Parts: sequence; structure tokens; C-alpha cells
Amino acid sequence: MAEESSRRIMVVDDDVFILEVMEELLEPEGIGVVAAESGDACIAELTGGFRGVILMDIMMPHKDGWETIQEMIDRDLMGGNVIVMLTAKDVPDAELECLKEQVIDYITKPFEPDEIVALVKGYLNYLP
Amino acid sequence: MEYSLSFPRDRRTIVVIGSSTGGARTLEVVFSQFPLVDAAVILVQHMPHSMNSALCRHIEEISFMDVRVPEDGEEIEHGKIYVAPSDVHLKLVENRKICLFNDEKVQYVRPSIDVAMMSLERRGSDRFAGVILSGMGSDGAEGISHIKSIGGTTFAQALRTCAIHYMPRAAFATGRVDQMLPPEGIRENIIRFAGIL
Repeated sequence: MAEESSRRIMVVDDDVFILEVMEELLEPEGIGVVAAESGDACIAELTGGFRGVILMDIMMPHKDGWETIQEMIDRDLMGGNVIVMLTAKDVPDAELECLKEQVIDYITKPFEPDEIVALVKGYLNYLP
Repeated sequence: MEYSLSFPRDRRTIVVIGSSTGGARTLEVVFSQFPLVDAAVILVQHMPHSMNSALCRHIEEISFMDVRVPEDGEEIEHGKIYVAPSDVHLKLVENRKICLFNDEKVQYVRPSIDVAMMSLERRGSDRFAGVILSGMGSDGAEGISHIKSIGGTTFAQALRTCAIHYMPRAAFATGRVDQMLPPEGIRENIIRFAGIL
């Protein structure tokens, strides 16, 4: 099981409603939520030392989820993180296959609350 | 008078599981309380390198199998799950030894499920099963076809149960998948195929 110190996740989404919902779902389960409203905010948290499960929206203005992951790779910030993508589409674009090794899972919005909680708890076990 | 055993003592039963995006959820079901089975299981999961150890640790916690990231040249044993390390390809030599090697990515990935599955060869009374779980792309389709061609048993995850159905769909499209199964069915069939150790 993940240690108490690692029971924290980062949610990266420009939709503040999603960030609030995640906090409401996960914090009662003892999982702290770090909210990042953009790819840049995510990079800043990682630079500041965050490591853990990251729920990353794909569609964000200025820097989307894939560009954020590419910057994480370029700046050597991937290590120690487990990335799950949030997407409004049924399936991701096939042309983004080249980054699939970096992403462990996808969640399609709208999501079921139980699914999110179970998934996050499961992936906390996959942290180094 | 000399007698010979009908089953050579060194017969190997090998299960190769290919998994990518969304497959980790399935692995959770497949390996939960998974017994010690009479087979060597090779797991090729597309993932970042930093997850290798954690994946091993977690599967070992929830199953009764020994789980490890293998060394190059290691001889496979029944009762163990070998998790292919990220950033190198894994193949089996003569169905016995693990070979880790650097080469170009195949279909954007390294390790490649196809490379691992295609390395199996018809040899003595060795037995094989190939399994394809959730994932993007078509890695594993060629490998599944190969395993079937050498007399193996093949499964893929039922499409409705996949986070991403491309890989199982591509395997199914080869016409060489014996059964499309939900995660629980894959678990049961691997156990039945391998037998309890």
C-alpha cells in the first residue's frame, strides 16, 4: 500500500468545477488533492517537488495535457509520477500513440464518482 | 528395461500477457489472490520506467506469485511473474532464457508485446498462452497470431470491459483469438490453463 505521505494526488484541469468535485470525492477518503488550473501550474508543482498520481485533462487552453507531458519529459519531471488522462472523448487520438508509454490510464468525462475513487486508490499503489 | 517419461521434466508452460493503457486496472482483477500457478508468466506492460518496481511490488502483494523485473540471461521458472522492464525489449531464447536488448521502438513502444510473443518457439512439449489486455494501437496482434500458429491458447480482453479497446480489437481482427473474456474470465482461464503449482 502507498504510504500516508504519498496519499496525495494532483488534478490538472482548467475547469474549476472538476477540481472542486475531485476534492469533494477524494478528501473524505483521506486523499489530499493538489489543484492545478493549467499545464504551467502543474509544471510549477512538479518543480516544487510534487510526485504522485496526476489526473490530467487533455483539453486545456494555452498548453494542453499532451504538451504538458512533453514538457515533463523534456525537463525530466516524469519520474515518480503515475499519469491518468481525463478526456471528454470516448477514445484518445490515435496519433498520440507515441506518448502512450507515459500514460497508465484514461478516464472519460463525465465520470462515475465511485470509478474515480477506486481508480485513484488503485494507482496510489503504483507509486515508487 | 528403460522407461521414458511422457512429459519431459524440463517442459515449460509460458503465459505472455500484453497490457497497455488502462490495462493496469485489468491486472488488478487478474492477479488479485492469484494462486501459485505451474507456469512462468511474462508481463509486458507499457509504462514509465519509474513504475517498474512499484508494479512488481503491488502484484506480489495481491497475488501468491513471486514477481520480479528479470535480469538479462535469467532462466525462467514456473511460479514466477517476470515484468518486462521499460526502455528495452524482452524476448525468450529457446523458451528458457530471458534476453533484454536495446533496439528501435516497435509501434512506438519498447518493450514490445509482439517482440516478446514472437520469440516463443515450438519446442518439445512446451505450452503457451497469449493474452492481450486494454491498450492503444495494435501491439500484440502479430504476437497473438504467432502463439496460435505454434499451438498456443489465446485470449483477449472483452472490448466492453476495456478502458481502451484498440489492442484487443486488433488481436481479435487476426482471427486467432480463442476467447474474448472479461478480466475475471481471463484470470480463471489462465489458472485453468497453467494449473496450480
